[in-house]
Amino acid sequence: MTAPTWLRWAWIAPAGFLLAFMVVPLVSLAGQVLSPGTIEYVSDSLPWRVAGLATVQALASTAVSLVVGLPMANVLTRYRFPGRRWALALATVPFVLPTVVVALAFRSLVGSDLGSGFLIVVLAHAYLNMAVVVRIVGARWSTIDPRLDIAARTLGASRWTAFRTVTLPALGPAIASAAAIVFVFSFTSLGIVLLLGDSNTRTLESLVLRQTSILLNFQAAAVSAAIQAIVVGSVLWWAARTRNAIPRGALRTFRLRRPLGSARWAVGIVVAATVVIVLAPVSSLVWSSVRSSSGFTMSWWAIFAGFETIDAGSTRIGSPLSAMARSLSFALVTGLVAATVGGLAAMSVLAHRLGRAFALATALPLGISAATLGLATMLAYGRPPVDLRATGLLIPIAHALIAVPLVVAVATPTLRSTDARLVTVAATLGARPSRAWWTGYGPTLRTVMIAAGGLACAVSLGEFGAASFLARADGPTVPLVIARLLGRPGEASFGAAAAMAVVLVVMTTTLVAAVDRGGRRS
Amino acid sequence: MNGHTLTCENLTIGYESALGEPVTFTVPPGSVLAVVGPSGCGKSTLLSTIAGVIPARSGRVLIDGVDVTQMPTHARKVAMVFQEPLLFPTMTVRDNVAYGPRRSGASASEARSTADELLSWVDLAGLGDRNIDQLSGGQAQRVSLARALASDPAVVCLDEPFSALDAPLRSRLAADVLALVRRTGIPAVHVTHDPDEAETMTLNNSSGSILSL
Repeated sequence: MTAPTWLRWAWIAPAGFLLAFMVVPLVSLAGQVLSPGTIEYVSDSLPWRVAGLATVQALASTAVSLVVGLPMANVLTRYRFPGRRWALALATVPFVLPTVVVALAFRSLVGSDLGSGFLIVVLAHAYLNMAVVVRIVGARWSTIDPRLDIAARTLGASRWTAFRTVTLPALGPAIASAAAIVFVFSFTSLGIVLLLGDSNTRTLESLVLRQTSILLNFQAAAVSAAIQAIVVGSVLWWAARTRNAIPRGALRTFRLRRPLGSARWAVGIVVAATVVIVLAPVSSLVWSSVRSSSGFTMSWWAIFAGFETIDAGSTRIGSPLSAMARSLSFALVTGLVAATVGGLAAMSVLAHRLGRAFALATALPLGISAATLGLATMLAYGRPPVDLRATGLLIPIAHALIAVPLVVAVATPTLRSTDARLVTVAATLGARPSRAWWTGYGPTLRTVMIAAGGLACAVSLGEFGAASFLARADGPTVPLVIARLLGRPGEASFGAAAAMAVVLVVMTTTLVAAVDRGGRRS
Repeated sequence: MNGHTLTCENLTIGYESALGEPVTFTVPPGSVLAVVGPSGCGKSTLLSTIAGVIPARSGRVLIDGVDVTQMPTHARKVAMVFQEPLLFPTMTVRDNVAYGPRRSGASASEARSTADELLSWVDLAGLGDRNIDQLSGGQAQRVSLARALASDPAVVCLDEPFSALDAPLRSRLAADVLALVRRTGIPAVHVTHDPDEAETMTLNNSSGSILSL
């Protein structure tokens, strides 16, 4: 194939981005961990106690996510029925919702009396992460031949025995993989824990934020972040080993089955449960945005009438409309940076001999928690001698770093599936290398970049963890404004937070739906 | 011969609507009934109905005179061999064959010895410890046959089990199945779209017959 020369060097831009905004900050963080006095913080019982609490909470969240997600995975990815695609999309919605929105939705659903503590944190995590179970386990389940179950039953196994002895062992690695991801998300949770948790549901992530922004103890925060990184790394390593246990051989997806007999009931019950589980918190949130103690009201939506601040006392909230504009501009920059960096990375993966290794390197930010990323970025670029906080670039850069792996994950397989012979055809018709390459890959690349950029925008709009570290007090993003409003008493604050959350939900889901639609078309 | 009898009386099959006319037949001990017909006529659905995977629309299925129409699949003792081997991917060859005996309460060592005996019978002695992805297509189908027989079935349903195999292997496995039916007295219902294969299976069996759907 005739590849243009510049393509061989396309990796330099994404590599430089990762070096500047991932490696350098992590080195700064490591410098804090390895500096004198660290032993004092390592021997402190606080981070270890918090790690224990977070482990118990994350295990419970994982168990509930599996209990809710497995029946959904079974029904939504294996049976054919009217509305299946819609139900599958609905089950995925919570995963794309910003964490502060989910926290607010759960608070409005259960009320302020029950609105905090272990149980509600676990339920909110299960709500956010059940889509992980549905997608990962469902993808594996759809490759298991349904006739294996029939074969087992004709050999004397009851339905349950057939499931336990044949289906479950085949699903095992996928379940372990999904469980590991849910555990890591719950273990490193910040937004849910801050807004719904109490002293027994702290995570190392929330401890890092407290040590950084309130106690101003960067060294202690770095130690907490390092402990968290070790736990997360160990779990992900275990998950990678488990994934290798999936039986080799060509996987194929089996045709969806029409539910018969008792399976019809199972499908009906699971679909109804999916609708109720997903929509109940969201409906409650919408209801909260138009409800006051005296009945229906639209007054909470008045915060969008102008750019006036809604500060009260010592709580600085600023103008919701300004926050909205700020979040949108951050999202736009994030989308542009992530699509460019991720797109070039995906092209390099295709063009270079070391493409696979490079793809792995671009995925590294996925394993770094938002708080670790935020803290590391602040240590490197948020204080003298290099203080970029005033430029307003730190948040979009951190968000782009979070979004680049998603862009690469979306773009690489699509580019790979493009027929490379089109480039050869164009070259044989007289096109120069760059033109020939663009003729072959350009149309796909353009569609994928728009879709991936949209995804990055959605990530940025709802991101809470890194923004908590990097936003200036007078320049909060929408999720930060919602969190600040929730920390203020009174129904007006709650109503205003709900109104902002509804707008955030509409913006995020519209973007993700547009990306999904565009992706399917391409 | 101490075998079993399969009888279907006015059996109507189909998922949502009936496929064809009601069928009535009896397969005596040690006999083969070859079911032939074009694609989509309901051959495989008939086997699934006999095995209880799909409920009968009307009529009855009897094994040794006992009405099993409402009985769940696992209690019917109707083993199936499919077009593809459908071996359990997380088990070894031996564990696949021992699966049926374990479900009927055999101890691990008993099931293992039954499995080894049947693996010898299909000329695969010594392959018990292999993973299933280490078998050729023909070997895998023979393991599937051994697995069906190890469960001590009252009826064997064969759903085009030889169609994915080459001609020499096909005739060899057909001979194996016929020998088994004669030896054990287990009635077999053999679905095929190939009239020649149907003739081979029935002409070489003293009480064989052909049912055209």
